[in-house]
Amino acid sequence: MTGLFDIYTTLFRTDLAVQFQYRAAMVIWLIGRVIEALVFLSVWTAVAESQGGQVGGFSAGDFAAYYIIMMMMGHLTFTWFMYEFEFRVRSGSFSPLLLQPLHPIHRDIAMNISYKFLTLVVMLPTMFLMVGLFDPTFNTPTWAVWAAVPVVLLAFLMRFFVEWALALVALWTTRTEAANQVYFAALLFFSGQMAPLALMPEWVQSLSALLPFRWMLAFPTELLLGRLEPEEVLQGLAAQVIWLGLAWGMMGLVWSRGVRRYSAVGS
Amino acid sequence: MSYLRLLWIFLRIGVMNELAYRANFWVQLLQSLVSMGVALAGLAVIFSHTEELGGWQPAELVALLGVFFLMSGLIGALVQPSMQRFMEDVRQGTLDFTLTKPEDSQVLVSISEVRVWKFLDVVQGAALIGWALAEIGLQTGFMHAASFAITLVAGAAIVYSFWLVLATFSFWFIKAENILVIFQAVYSAGKYPVAIYPRWLKMAMTFLVPVAFAVTVPSEALLGRLSTEVFWGALVMAVVMVVGARVFWLWGVRHYSGASA
Amino acid sequence: MSAVPAIAVRDLSKTYEVPVREGGLAAALKSLVHRQTRQVEAVKEIIFEVAPGEIVGFLGPNGAGKTTTLKMLSGLLYPSGGQCRVLGFEPFKRQRDYLRQITLVMGNRNQLIWDIPVLDSFERNRAIYRIERTAYQRTVDELTELLDLGPLLDKPVRNLSLGERMKCEVAAALLHKPQILFLDEPTIGLDVTMQRRIRSFLAEYNQRYGATVLLTSHYMADVEALCKRVVVIHHGQLLFDGQLSELVQRFSPHKTIVVELENEGSDLSVYGEVVDGVDGRVSLRVPKAETAQVTGRLLSEQAVLDLTVEDPPIEDVIEQVFAGV
Repeated sequence: MTGLFDIYTTLFRTDLAVQFQYRAAMVIWLIGRVIEALVFLSVWTAVAESQGGQVGGFSAGDFAAYYIIMMMMGHLTFTWFMYEFEFRVRSGSFSPLLLQPLHPIHRDIAMNISYKFLTLVVMLPTMFLMVGLFDPTFNTPTWAVWAAVPVVLLAFLMRFFVEWALALVALWTTRTEAANQVYFAALLFFSGQMAPLALMPEWVQSLSALLPFRWMLAFPTELLLGRLEPEEVLQGLAAQVIWLGLAWGMMGLVWSRGVRRYSAVGS
Repeated sequence: MSYLRLLWIFLRIGVMNELAYRANFWVQLLQSLVSMGVALAGLAVIFSHTEELGGWQPAELVALLGVFFLMSGLIGALVQPSMQRFMEDVRQGTLDFTLTKPEDSQVLVSISEVRVWKFLDVVQGAALIGWALAEIGLQTGFMHAASFAITLVAGAAIVYSFWLVLATFSFWFIKAENILVIFQAVYSAGKYPVAIYPRWLKMAMTFLVPVAFAVTVPSEALLGRLSTEVFWGALVMAVVMVVGARVFWLWGVRHYSGASA
Repeated sequence: MSAVPAIAVRDLSKTYEVPVREGGLAAALKSLVHRQTRQVEAVKEIIFEVAPGEIVGFLGPNGAGKTTTLKMLSGLLYPSGGQCRVLGFEPFKRQRDYLRQITLVMGNRNQLIWDIPVLDSFERNRAIYRIERTAYQRTVDELTELLDLGPLLDKPVRNLSLGERMKCEVAAALLHKPQILFLDEPTIGLDVTMQRRIRSFLAEYNQRYGATVLLTSHYMADVEALCKRVVVIHHGQLLFDGQLSELVQRFSPHKTIVVELENEGSDLSVYGEVVDGVDGRVSLRVPKAETAQVTGRLLSEQAVLDLTVEDPPIEDVIEQVFAGV
């Protein structure tokens, strides 16, 4: 176990050094994310105003709070490996990874966490700036903040495994855009990114309870907005744990199949 | 006219190239349909809660979406791939090859790469526009159609010039490509009418990343809600940007050739 | 004296399915609907063994199957047929204990991280291969000395020249003291000085640590300098496996006599096959057995200013080998 700890600290340290050099790109990426949140926020604020101040239990201030938190949750849980893997396979840099006595997922976990560590430095002030600009309404009870710790952690792990499995599609085909797009479309609708799930049609809400996306983003967001009762939080945690197991299993399966296929065909 | 012939040749090569990869067509078709589906579904959710958004009716927003896709298709098929290829060339240092050719360098750079299948977005956009117009029951008189066509061309010219300016910057800043991320984000805000955004974002969408001129203005023209001032403003903007971008480009080329001599 | 080979390969084969694509618009349109494939036998039933500590050179033109064979031996590719054992393991299983004992270096492919100092990349390997710190430090010092890495260690890889980068790549690949080195075109793209440097390093490394080295190259100089034993592969088949000198002997029974005469223009075709005749320097190809005799005759019958006897360049020999198939 000390071997793995040493590996993670070394990878983490060197990844930080690399990513720091791309800080301009990081900031620009963050601006893109902020604009994205702003688009939804503006749309729903306009809808709320046209309906006399609120829609489906959300006022303009509620929407502001929702999208600011959603932006943060999205940031804490996102990955980019579906693009990274396509690049790796295409450039031939995937093969050397197979010949190292370390499962490639560890490198990626370290890379992901170190990236978020760095960007948090800019993301936190940005969040405060947005709070200043948009006057959101927060009703978060203290216990919810504590509960958010395991919830966000589980959301992160769950999303990581699901998206890593998606990234492995690159081992079968270089045409990963279609799969990625379908995934992100599903994520958009069922995770609460597009609109709070309470505002979505009935069938979307029912379906989203069965899919993992809600537990990645909407659940932590609603928790931190103080919109969930303790029982609901416990149920959500259970759903997260189940989905974590499913995601982990699926990822393992896709990995072993993918590597077998890659080794049969070469790059 | 030799430039038209050049364009035709490049298009044909581009098409043949793309046809060799049969999957590209199906992938692009799927992608176009998915993005249209997602956008329409989004509109459906919004309009389950309200009857108008920022002063626009549902069918009008579908028309806006149609213009959005139409413009995306044009940019994605012709402008963006060429400009990205150009920026890549500058980064790799393989640009000198293009600059020593006898034809006008701006033309060459602008048509160097074509993504034929992106035209599916144009078709899709046109279909949405058609449906929306029928739904609204709008009589498109000659004036309407003309002002739509003009503002569309002006919008396209403005976006093209914007890209050219961006590309020219990469003579000096190799990492100019990162700006693409912001472009994508701001451009996608153009799916909704500019009116709903906070002032500063409205400004950014008008003068920084001119998506307002590319999408909202032609849509307004199409739907007959375009004010005369904005119409002339768009034309003036187009002329200013086309001329300005070309001047900037020529200056950049001269500077670059001088530097690497 | 170990009788167990480090590498044992029997009837090893690899077949790929490759899409068939024809040119022209009509064929391109047709391919939108129906895709054809054909079988390509990259490697056909190869058999050989390598003893521990040997340096073996794989020779063959591009597409001959050298890299494919190397990939199967290192564990990147599954064989389609036959079997191979390296250090007693089946490579394609990629067991941790196996991976810790091998290394694969591919010329012009970077495994080092571009933006950080070389030493940081080394550190990553140290952690990943779980090398004990004191042993690691010792290895780094040894490799730094052997390869002259001192000034390079603190520089980000992107600031290094191609040759410097290659030295560091090789060093990084050896930090865990692997017993087997798979090298695919390690000197490609390097200038002559650097090529020689890498070659002498590999020879030294093999001497010191007894590592087994499998090397593919199409630079004859690599093979000549390092490998006593060569394996020639062409069209996926093993054409020759043995000493390099034997290869020359078997496939090239000639020697070249280069003569410089006082009077240009003499016809020397009576002595042997005239291969080249420029500015009074005539090259004669002569059967090996007759070399001494022809040399003697030339010296006594002609006004000779200078005379040398040369082996044919090995490239020519190899060409002969391939031509013969």
